[in-house]
Amino acid sequence: MAEPTDDIIRAHGLGRQFRGRWAVKDVDLTVGRGEIVGLVGPDGAGKTTLLQLIAAILDPSAGRCTVLGFDSVRESAKITSRIGYMAQGFTLYDRLTVAENIAFAAKARNVSAAQLAARRQQLLAMAGLGPFLHRREGALSGGMRKKLALCANLVHEPPLLLLDEPGLGVDPLSRRELWRMLEAYRRQGATIVFSTSYMDEAELCDRVAFLDAGGIVALGTPAELRARGDGAAFRVVTDDPAAVEGALSGEPDVLGVQWQARDVRFVMWPGREPSSSLRAPFRDLGRVESASPTIEDVFVILTAECNHSGDGDVESPSPAHTRGPMEGTQAQISSQGLTRRFGSFVAVDDVYLDLGSGEIFGLLGANGAGKTTLIRMLCGLLSPSSGAAWVAGIDAVADPQRLRQRIGYMSQRFSLYPDLSVGENLSFFASAYGLDRKAAREAIGWARAVTGLARFEHHTVARLSGAVRQRLGLACAILHRPAVVFLDEPTSGVDPLSRFRFWRLVNALGAAGTTVLVTTHYLEEAAYCHRLGLMHEGRLIAAGDLASLRAELPADVPQTVEAVFIAHIERARTRMPQSESSAS
Amino acid sequence: MRPSRIAAVLEKETKEIVRDPITVAIALIMPILMLFLFGYAISLDVKDIRLGVLDHDRSPASRQLVDEFVDSGYFRLAGSYAAPEEVDGALQRNEVKLVLVVPPRFHERLERGEAAPVQVLVDGTYAASANLAAAYAETIISTFPDAAPPAARVEVRVWYNPALRSANFIVPGLFGVILMAFPPLLTALAITREKESGSIQQIFASPLTSAEFLAGKLVPYGLIAFVQIVTVIAAGFVWFGVPMRGSLGLLLAVGLVYVFTTVGIGLLVSTIANSQVVAMLLALIVALMPSALFSGFLFPIFTMPYASQLYARTLPAGYFVDFSRGLVLKGAGLPELWPSVALLLVYTLIVFALAVWLFRKKVA
Repeated sequence: MAEPTDDIIRAHGLGRQFRGRWAVKDVDLTVGRGEIVGLVGPDGAGKTTLLQLIAAILDPSAGRCTVLGFDSVRESAKITSRIGYMAQGFTLYDRLTVAENIAFAAKARNVSAAQLAARRQQLLAMAGLGPFLHRREGALSGGMRKKLALCANLVHEPPLLLLDEPGLGVDPLSRRELWRMLEAYRRQGATIVFSTSYMDEAELCDRVAFLDAGGIVALGTPAELRARGDGAAFRVVTDDPAAVEGALSGEPDVLGVQWQARDVRFVMWPGREPSSSLRAPFRDLGRVESASPTIEDVFVILTAECNHSGDGDVESPSPAHTRGPMEGTQAQISSQGLTRRFGSFVAVDDVYLDLGSGEIFGLLGANGAGKTTLIRMLCGLLSPSSGAAWVAGIDAVADPQRLRQRIGYMSQRFSLYPDLSVGENLSFFASAYGLDRKAAREAIGWARAVTGLARFEHHTVARLSGAVRQRLGLACAILHRPAVVFLDEPTSGVDPLSRFRFWRLVNALGAAGTTVLVTTHYLEEAAYCHRLGLMHEGRLIAAGDLASLRAELPADVPQTVEAVFIAHIERARTRMPQSESSAS
Repeated sequence: MRPSRIAAVLEKETKEIVRDPITVAIALIMPILMLFLFGYAISLDVKDIRLGVLDHDRSPASRQLVDEFVDSGYFRLAGSYAAPEEVDGALQRNEVKLVLVVPPRFHERLERGEAAPVQVLVDGTYAASANLAAAYAETIISTFPDAAPPAARVEVRVWYNPALRSANFIVPGLFGVILMAFPPLLTALAITREKESGSIQQIFASPLTSAEFLAGKLVPYGLIAFVQIVTVIAAGFVWFGVPMRGSLGLLLAVGLVYVFTTVGIGLLVSTIANSQVVAMLLALIVALMPSALFSGFLFPIFTMPYASQLYARTLPAGYFVDFSRGLVLKGAGLPELWPSVALLLVYTLIVFALAVWLFRKKVA
């Protein structure tokens, strides 16, 4: 029955069950030669499982899948020996050097020494890893590790490349380079299937598959998908985005709101116009006009249409519920000449910061730019080599013990206890902060309501999706009503709608007077911050709101956050040697 | 099976091990440490038993009997008591382990040629040493005072370990137990570490077959295990002065088989465990603990209840301990010991087959 076709992947009714739950169910997908297909969808939608099924490293519970003409169950060895598969996270050997990792990948895949020599040079040059040939993988930055992993998977020139969240936790510059490598590789006629939570990556695909609850809900070209959002996206041009957001948040028909510098975008149920009651408050705030839908808007619509039973129906936090810091505490952050050296390496270099109460400050920068080190110093977790820092009215260098009661810190890998339930984690953190029984009960009830975790009370954290874990991480960090909250890549790997909900929480915290310092790799999230700081090689090279950051640059720089970010870094790169020589 | 791919895994694994000095140090130092700990700490010899005396007779004969005890070298006089109540307390306080009670008129009865019974109280909390102490005491008393030579005389000769040195018995057994401590653990950790970091997914999605991957992993860890057994054997003979009556070559050859048994158990553990913590606990539970308790290393298997004997016989350590003791102490060779060797070989093959069969190139 199998007619000879050019199809690289053919899945029929493909499904996989884990402990009675379908992670992937009834998926039909055909991918042609040379196609690039993106898998998007909320956390836990089954993107990783689907990729593993296609990679033939997981057997389906139902249906069948043919990859490169081979059956994924009976001929799995033929599939795995041909494809490239890049798993999530860092999956190379950190004790081996760049060259050794590539050599191992090549030998394991029957690439001859002569072929390896030629390809290695080409790949490493493309990845910009040439100078680091003999550096251990573990000592590379996150972006470089990802690029190296891609090199290791391209060394045998696979006809099919499967990538699981290749851009996760990677800074915008490295991500751009990663994509350049993929584009170059694809021109050789290869097929690529990848999962992503970056909607700009989805725009680059030939086709996008939207997954929800294990099934493909929508499949088409980015243009076809965007068409599903026709008439549902609107924008309000305004000087007071916070007020617009407030007016929109109560509307049941409004599915999602997104801030930009001078306007607010929102998405409604398709086919429903903003009602007159909705339009009324906008008379003073700004003009409502329809906007062309983006993939992200469609994502929001599709997620809502699926009526997600998982994380979707969370009651939105309202600023009225949100409590700010304890009365009488200061919430400012300031630092003077804050510097941290590790041996001869300067991780943070002479940073001056000044944040007011209730300010939401976004810290952007490449992997290894020093964002996490800076945050750890401001939290009193790491003592600076020189310089001073005051956080919430306390000297962070001299009195870190007292500081800890005033701040909340959510680390990159939300430090939760995976084997405890949501409720147990909350009560643990309440007692760790020294709240007495009554205060703890009250604080937990409040944090649970604000973050929409009530229905997950008895769920074990290990089984929760990233989005719910992220909200729990925040709930744990704000239980003791800290004056200042530090969030280190809180939204990494979380789908757009959950990210949006998370940012509403952050905004509500800011409105209640809590100062928030946050890092992110999703540049569109910069719009939610009052001010931005750009870090590069340990220095804070620019700080200010988006408009002023743009104003510092030549007029020909495009008006996107990404372009501003990259232009500032390029400017800093050309200036840095000069500033060093003038200093000495 | 492609040799070039096995070599790739082998090379990669070796580099990773060499660059982890802590693991290398643990792998090479811990076995020696364990050998010294056990070699010195465990002594089943019973010497200097603390003796208490409750002498109701206070006669030359009773004093002579006490002297006989002390002169035997097995006993040391630790206390003399006047009343039975004092004896109770002394035993409870652990001042004495054995009390000799001499009744009144002991001397008189001996003089008359009558039977002169004495009482021996033994602290039985440590059953094994109590038995030995009682036996020594009985021997001393039965030959007192230079009784007429009995008609039949028993002369006992202890073979293989005439001095009954504990080290001679413990050290050859330790070879088997130490190898169950580290190689299974290191091997199991080496594979579960890749499961934890996710790097194993890159192995799954590659032409490497399960057998090639496992073979490449095994060789370096097998080598480490072999270095371990060689150092432990060398230290046993050089430092502890254990006699070597059999063929060293044969011991090393069967040691190599045993090395693969232990590494294979590690492999088997890693196919079941998904995290390093689980692998560590499992390796401890399936390899080290039963081997220490049920290999006959300390407690002879033949004295165990029948069910425990059956269980002990399902573990490979016992066969190697039997083989090692037989070769080292008795000077036996393959003609006598082949059943143990054959069983070890079969065991190793089964473990490997099971590991390769269970290790599938699938994430779940």
